[in-house]
Amino acid sequence: MMNNRFSATLILLATLLCAPAFAIDSAHKHVSITQIVEHPSLDAVRQGVKDVLKEQGWKEDENLSWDYQSAQGSPATAAQIAKKFAGDNPDVIVAIATPSAQSVVASARNSNIVFSAVTDPVGAKLVQSWDKPGPNVTGVSDLTPIKQHLELVKQVMPQAANIGIIYNPGESNSVSLVRLIHQHSITLGLKVVEAVSPKSSDVQTAARSLLGKVEAIYLPTDNTVISAIEGIIKIAEQANIPVFSGDTDSVKRGAVAALGFNYYEVGRKTGVMVNNILNGASPKDIPVQGIDKTELFVNPGAAERMGITLAPSLIASAKEVVK
Amino acid sequence: MNSFAFFGALETGFIFALVALGVFISFRVLDFPDLTVDGSFPLGAATSATLLVVGVHPVLATLCACVSGAIAGLLTAWLNVRLHILHLLASILTMIALYSINLRIMNGPNTPLLGVETILSPIDQLDFLPYYIAYPIAFAVIAFSALLVVVSFLKSETGLAMRATGANPRMARANGVNTTKMIFLGMAISNALVALAGSLFAQSQGSADVTMGVGIIVIGLASVIGGEALLSTNTLLKWAFACILGSLLYRIVVAVALNGNVLGLQAQDLNLVTAILVTLAIVAPKLKAKFKHYLRGLKA
Amino acid sequence: MIQIRDLSIAYGKGTPLENNVFKDFNLSIPEHQFVTVIGSNGAGKSTLLSAIAGEAEVQSGSILLDNKNITNLPIHKRSHYLARVFQDPLTGTCENLTIEENLALANARTRSRTLSSFRKTNRRSVFVKKLKSLQLGLENRLDDKIGLLSGGQRQAISLLMASLQPMKLLLLDEHTAALDPKTAKFILALTEEIINTEKLTALMVTHSMSHALSVGDRTIMLHQGKIALDVADEQRARMDAQELISQFHYHDIDSDALLLSN
Repeated sequence: MMNNRFSATLILLATLLCAPAFAIDSAHKHVSITQIVEHPSLDAVRQGVKDVLKEQGWKEDENLSWDYQSAQGSPATAAQIAKKFAGDNPDVIVAIATPSAQSVVASARNSNIVFSAVTDPVGAKLVQSWDKPGPNVTGVSDLTPIKQHLELVKQVMPQAANIGIIYNPGESNSVSLVRLIHQHSITLGLKVVEAVSPKSSDVQTAARSLLGKVEAIYLPTDNTVISAIEGIIKIAEQANIPVFSGDTDSVKRGAVAALGFNYYEVGRKTGVMVNNILNGASPKDIPVQGIDKTELFVNPGAAERMGITLAPSLIASAKEVVK
Repeated sequence: MNSFAFFGALETGFIFALVALGVFISFRVLDFPDLTVDGSFPLGAATSATLLVVGVHPVLATLCACVSGAIAGLLTAWLNVRLHILHLLASILTMIALYSINLRIMNGPNTPLLGVETILSPIDQLDFLPYYIAYPIAFAVIAFSALLVVVSFLKSETGLAMRATGANPRMARANGVNTTKMIFLGMAISNALVALAGSLFAQSQGSADVTMGVGIIVIGLASVIGGEALLSTNTLLKWAFACILGSLLYRIVVAVALNGNVLGLQAQDLNLVTAILVTLAIVAPKLKAKFKHYLRGLKA
Repeated sequence: MIQIRDLSIAYGKGTPLENNVFKDFNLSIPEHQFVTVIGSNGAGKSTLLSAIAGEAEVQSGSILLDNKNITNLPIHKRSHYLARVFQDPLTGTCENLTIEENLALANARTRSRTLSSFRKTNRRSVFVKKLKSLQLGLENRLDDKIGLLSGGQRQAISLLMASLQPMKLLLLDEHTAALDPKTAKFILALTEEIINTEKLTALMVTHSMSHALSVGDRTIMLHQGKIALDVADEQRARMDAQELISQFHYHDIDSDALLLSN
């Protein structure tokens, strides 16, 4: 009886293992792309990569194989995806977000790897340095230009002395950003008050804890907090505390201003790197890139609701003004 | 699938076999549904990663991971037997507490281990065997060693007393078994195994992350229940081996799903596939019994 | 051997459902005496056994076993000195463990357990011999899971398990109640044999008045937490079931179930 069950298992196993592996044609180029989780920012990165490659003449049904896998938040799945990619040995592996990148670098030691949307690639031990990344890894960091953001806050609200920040301590990107915020706030004469939100349902509690303690709120590019930003906006409007953000989409949703980059642009930068590697460049010759261009997004209506008025010169210099 | 993916499935399968063995002890032997594992897995990772980064010897760091897991198990057991909190609830409380504790241990949500000396570093130096084959072999050795230790323990007098504690605590006490002590011991061993798995996983994956424990209990249960459905559980050795086999098969199914070509499955469908498989595994024995009964009815 | 002094047990104290099962209850059982206990439902028979075994919470009073105060001793420690056979064959054994494993568990009742293999510390040949004495053919089924056995077979093994190691007191908790009359008779005979051979001190709770009188040296009738009748020796030898029933009426006990269960 047990033998029947066991042999059935073996037959099933054999069938599964014989399932066709990825067929690679040498005239073809092969790009494998992995994300830790489905998320609008990360999806935008992927779209950016795809669009740039299409513009450069890589067509999916002709000369490009494109394999995308999401780990759905499970590190174990990310590990298996990394190993599958290592075995497929594509021309480039694109890893979006720190956990996926770390998995891929650990498993695919001989492949060309381009990471994206990783805030601190050196801290995550993906590369040695931004200028000389390492033998086979390079990428694009989404490190926010914190100093410029805080300067914007000071510019709009010169009298502000205390600034509140809300973030999820479980996101390593946010933790890195918060460290930077503390560093730069000292030079700008701002005192930082932290409020943590481990889940998106905690944002309102976090926002309320800042009332009476701060004159302005700054939200770093934290997946948890940004996804529930409306809850913070509501409380801030009631208390007349302006909300600034590191993410430009937030301005449409009610934040006063943001010095933006958006993740689609991050993706496009990544796509340019991928294209270079497909054309023969090596990752060790490509320095890690960050955000250099920022554009100002403002929302005068939100500002009014939060008790301040934006200077007309500021509005004039904005890339996009939300009505 | 390519050989890399296959060996990768084995590698992950053998690491998570330790989780399956741990869940086997708590869930099957002690009859204690234990969600602590969602917290003790990253606890093991966090403890060893924090120690490895400051240069502690990898074997010592990994042993500390086991100890930390044992402590987590003891905490859940204490909440249950001393404070009389329902076992499921007690384990959830410990799991929630461990999230904050893990953040504290690592002083942040993530500790990268790429380039740090780990327990696997000596294996990277082997020149006769590529690392992607050597790792699964190493983890297989660890998994089977754990299997032998667990089974010989369960076959000892104390192990038998632990089995009685889970099967019939009243009878156990009437026969001189200190059921409280057995629960403490079982939970400690179970979570020590899971923490060991977390530590090994972090060392092979290049980082310890505070969120890496989410869903571990489901993977453990799927491995145990899946293994039981495929292999007989007449003896302890076969039963424990079934847990390891269940873990390997689960990982192979994942690898197949990632291939994308079989049945149109994709990684996104993984959670649904797991739920279906575990449901089938639970229901299969009953369906088989009904089918046999039906056949017997036809013969009569 | 066992002395119960001023024992008070109440369930749900302070609530509207407060039930004072025992109040200042006293009982003394000398060594080697085999006592049967009968009484109507709620008289306290099972509670008495539970209190001695350690499962019932005692409000006040003391229980002494061989002059040692065990009132506050946890159940598993008391089990070193007491052996117990439960009413339900399922309660006294572990369904999914084998006969050998159940016997091994009982065999270690009086001592602390080690990490040696249980097969090393329990010789199968000893178990085979003991099972043979039951004359049920179970000596060839050591590796069968106990769940496969009938209720009567399980109770026989439970009795055997209880007698594997020395004890100061044997507690029998209506252990034939769940069995059919023929099997009950067999188990009762086995019980008597074991108690007589090992010269045990035993306390047997039963619902059957004929059983209560036909075995043992002394019969106690409980009613509402008090001893309504306590007979031994010649007075008891002269009694029969009818007389017991009239004693029930004398003490104003009105329990049809008890009267009809003869």
